Amino acid sequence: MFEILAALRDGFAGALTLPHLGWALVGVTLGTAVGVLPGIGPALTVAVLLPVTFNLEPTSAFIMFAGIYYGAMYGGSTTSILLNTPGETGSIATAIDGHMMAKNGRGAAALTTAAVGSFVAGTLSAILLTFFAPMLASVALRFGPAEYFALTILAFTAVSALLGTSLTRGLFSLFMGLALGLIGIDPLTGDARFSFGIPQLLDGIDVVILVIGLFAVGETLYQAWSYGRQQFEMVTLHDFTGMNREEWRRSWKPWLRGTAIGFPLGVLPAGGTVIPTFLSYLTEKRLSDHPEEFGKGAIEGVAGPEAANNAAAAGVLVPLLTLGLPSSATAAVMLAAFQQYGLQPGPLLFSTRPDLVWTLIASLYIGNVMLLILNLPLAGVWARVMLVPRPLLFGGILVLASLGAYTLNRSMLDLFLLYLVGAVGCAMRVKAFPLVPAVLGLILGPLSEQHFRRAMAISEGDPSVFFTRPLSAVLLLVAALTLFGPMLLRRTSNVNTN
Amino acid sequence: MRRAVGVLLLAFLPVAAGAQTYDQLRIIAPAAPGGGWDQTARVMQQVVQQTGLARTVSVENIPGAAGLIGLARFIGAERGNGDAVMVNGLIMLGAIVTQQSEVTFANVTPIARLTGEYEVLTVPANSPFRTLGDFTRAFRARPEAISWGGGSAGGSDQILAGLIADALGVAPRRVNYIAFSGGGESLSAILGGQVSVGINGLAEFAPQIEAGTVRALAISSGERLPGLDIPTLREQGVDVEFENWRSVVGPPGLSAADRERMDAAVASLVASPEWQAALVKFRWIDRYLAGPEFLRFVASEERRVQNILTQFGGDEEDASLNASAAYPAVILGGLALFGVLSYVGRLRGEKRSQRAADPPTADSPTTTHWRPVVLIAAGILLNLLLAETGGFIIASVALFWCVARAFDPRHPVRDALFAVAVSVSAFLLFGRVLDLQLPAGVLAGLI
Repeated sequence: MFEILAALRDGFAGALTLPHLGWALVGVTLGTAVGVLPGIGPALTVAVLLPVTFNLEPTSAFIMFAGIYYGAMYGGSTTSILLNTPGETGSIATAIDGHMMAKNGRGAAALTTAAVGSFVAGTLSAILLTFFAPMLASVALRFGPAEYFALTILAFTAVSALLGTSLTRGLFSLFMGLALGLIGIDPLTGDARFSFGIPQLLDGIDVVILVIGLFAVGETLYQAWSYGRQQFEMVTLHDFTGMNREEWRRSWKPWLRGTAIGFPLGVLPAGGTVIPTFLSYLTEKRLSDHPEEFGKGAIEGVAGPEAANNAAAAGVLVPLLTLGLPSSATAAVMLAAFQQYGLQPGPLLFSTRPDLVWTLIASLYIGNVMLLILNLPLAGVWARVMLVPRPLLFGGILVLASLGAYTLNRSMLDLFLLYLVGAVGCAMRVKAFPLVPAVLGLILGPLSEQHFRRAMAISEGDPSVFFTRPLSAVLLLVAALTLFGPMLLRRTSNVNTN
Repeated sequence: MRRAVGVLLLAFLPVAAGAQTYDQLRIIAPAAPGGGWDQTARVMQQVVQQTGLARTVSVENIPGAAGLIGLARFIGAERGNGDAVMVNGLIMLGAIVTQQSEVTFANVTPIARLTGEYEVLTVPANSPFRTLGDFTRAFRARPEAISWGGGSAGGSDQILAGLIADALGVAPRRVNYIAFSGGGESLSAILGGQVSVGINGLAEFAPQIEAGTVRALAISSGERLPGLDIPTLREQGVDVEFENWRSVVGPPGLSAADRERMDAAVASLVASPEWQAALVKFRWIDRYLAGPEFLRFVASEERRVQNILTQFGGDEEDASLNASAAYPAVILGGLALFGVLSYVGRLRGEKRSQRAADPPTADSPTTTHWRPVVLIAAGILLNLLLAETGGFIIASVALFWCVARAFDPRHPVRDALFAVAVSVSAFLLFGRVLDLQLPAGVLAGLI
C-alpha cells in the first residue's frame, strides 16, 4: 500500500509541472472538441493526434493522451444531450433522457450532471486502477465466451426498460436491430451473410450510422413532418445555472452506481462501453421512485450512464497497463503510442518503466480535474445551443450528421444508408415505435451470437457450459430475475393482499 | 499555454530536411486505426517526415472487409496518381480468396514487401502441453477437442492453423478454430485458458512469453530467432514456414517515371536508420523485397493461401452449418411475427393512451403540410448527388439551405450565409486540422 502511494506521489511529481499541465489542457480541449463531432470517436481522435506528439517527450505525450481520451469520451455526451446525436456508442443511453431534459429547458443541468458524473466516475476509477489493477485484471481473465454470452443476455433485459407503451412495437424495434445485425461477414466462418454482393456491407451496418440516422436525421424529418400539422412547443430555458438542490440529491447515487457498474465491465477485455451504460440506465429506472419520468427527462437516466461510460473508459486501461491487452480500438491506438516510445505494455511494464506508468496514472487524475474545470462553466454556454433558431439548428445538425457518416468509411453508401435510416426513424416515430431497442439489437445481437457460437465450439456443441460455469450461471440468473423478478414480486404481493 | 499551442501548431508543420522526393505523399491504410496496417502506415508517415522524403505526408484510413474496400477505392480513385501508396499484405490475399473479390493484387502496382511478423503457437502457463509434441499427439488423436484461438476468420492466424493441420495429416476443416476480433480478445482467451492453444503474431505475444504468463510451443520462422528461445515448427517435425508479411503498393496505371520514383523512395525509406529503429520498437522483421522477386513471392503466397482456405470451406460440418443458418431464421421470424402483431394491434386501436403521443391528425394534410418534408427530401437528394461530384462544400450548402428553408419561410439570405459559413468551416476543420480529407470537388483548386 505504501509503495503504491509513494509511487503515485512520484507520478504526480512528474506530471505536476507547468508545461505538463499545459499539455493536459490542450489534450482535454482537443479531445472534447473532436469528441463533439459525430462519427469521430476517441480512437480516431487519438490516432489523428498521434503525430502531434512525435516531438514531445513521453511524459507530456501521455498526459495529453489521457486528456484526449477522457475529453473525447465526455465530448460525445454534449451532442447527445443537446442535439440527440450521440458522438459515440457509449453515449446513446445518455441521449434518451438527456435530450428530453434539454427540450424541457434543463440542458444545463443535464450537462452538469454529465460533467460531474464523469469526473466522479473517472476519479473513483483512477483510484481503483491505482490500487487494484493487477488483481482486477486476473479476475477479468476468468471471463470466457460463455460468460460474455450470459452478459449480453443480461444486457438484453435492459430492453424491458426501453419498450415504451407497447410490448409488440418495442419488440419489433428490437428485432429490426437484430436483423440489421445479421448483415456482414459471419465472424466465425468468414462467409458473407445478407450482404447482397455489396462489398461495403461486408462489415455490416455501422452502429454510428444507425444511431445518427434514427436520432438526428429521424428527429429532423419528424419535426418537418409535424411542422405544418401541430404547433411547436418552443424551448424555453429556465436558467443556465446547472443543477438545483433537488437534482444534486437525485444525481449522486446514480453516479456511484454507474461507476460500480461501468468500471468492472470496462476491465473485461471484451466488455466495451455500451453494455454498462444500458445496465446503468436499467438499474436507475428499476430503483427509481418515479420510473414514469424515465424517457421524459429523468436526471438519473443521464447521471448513471454518463458515470458508467467514463468508468468503463478508465477500466479499459487496466488490462492495457497490466497485461498489455488492447481491449478497445482506442486502447489499440494507445498501445501503438506506447510503442513509439519503445515501451511494451505487458505484464512487465509496471516493473520495467514504473516512472512512466505512474506518471500516466497521475495524469488520469489531472485530466479529470481539467475536464471538470473546463466543462462546468461551459455547460451554461453549450445549453444556449437550444436557443439557436430552429432552421439553423436543424441545418447544422444534418450537415454534421452527413459529415460524420461520410468520414466513418469515406463511403457514399454510408451517407445513403444514413438518410434511409433517417426516413425509417421518422416513420417509426410517427407510428410510435421506440427507437432505442433497435440500436441495442444491432449492438448486442452480433455480440451475443458470436460469444454463443464460440462457447459452443469450445465445448464441442454441449450447451450445458452456460450453466455449469459458475460466473455464467450467476449472470443468467440475474438476467432472469431482472426480467421476471418484478412480475413475481407483484404476484406475491397480490396474493398477500388477497 | 500560448507556447503550448505554438508548439502544437509547429508539430503539424512538416520538418524540412534534404531534397524532397514528394511534395505531398498520401499513404492509404485500408484498415481502422490501431491495427497492423494502420501502424505500418503511421510509422512510414513518421519516417518519411523525419527523413524529408516528402514535404507533407498524410495517412488515410479506409477500413472495411479486411482491406478489400480500401483496395477497390485505391484502384478506382487513385489510378495513375504517383503521389499515393497503399499498405497491404498477406491478410488481403486471404480476404480476396474468401470473398471472391473482383479486385485483386493484379490490379495494383506492387512496390515492395516491407516487414514480416512470425507467428507463435502458445498455451497458457498451466497447460498440460509442455512441448509441441504433446500438443500434436492430442490434436491427431481428437482434432475437434482442441480449440485454437486466433484472429479473424480467413486471416493469417487461421491460415497458419490450417497449414499446421495439413502438415500433420489432419484435414484443415477439422480444425476447431475460434475466431476472435482483435489481438486483445484472443490474447485474453489464451491467458484465461478459455482455448487450448493460441495462434498469433509474435509481437503481440512476446511480452507475455517473456513474463512467463504463456508458454510458446513453436514459432513459424525458418530458423530460430536470435535472442528468443523458441524452437521452430520445422525443427520439431512440422514442415511449415510462415510469416504475416506487409507490403506497400502503388495505384495502377503509373507512368514509368512515377514508378521509378516510388521504388527509389521506398528503398531509401527502408534503408534509413529511422525505419530500422522503428522496426526494433514494433518487433517487426525487415523483409524488404522489391522488383520481380516480390512479384514471384506474391504469386506463390496466393497459391498457398488459396489452397488452404478452400480446404477450410470444403464441406462444412453439419453442426456449424445449422448454427449459422438457424440464428438468422429465428431473427427474421421474430421480425415478421412482431411486425404482424404491431399491425394487428394498431388495427384494433390498441392502446388508446398512445393517441396522446401521436400528433393530432384531425386536420387533413394539405400541400402546405408537405412543403417542409419535400424541401428536406430535396436537400438530401442534392446532398447525395453532389457529395462526390460537386464536392463536400457545395453539397453541404445545398443540404443546409434546403433544411433551413423547410423550417423557415422568411430568411432565405440569412440561411444561405449560415449554410456557406458552416460548410466551409466544417470542411476546413476536417481537412486542415484533423487531416481527414473530404471530397473537394469542383472547388478543389480554390480551397
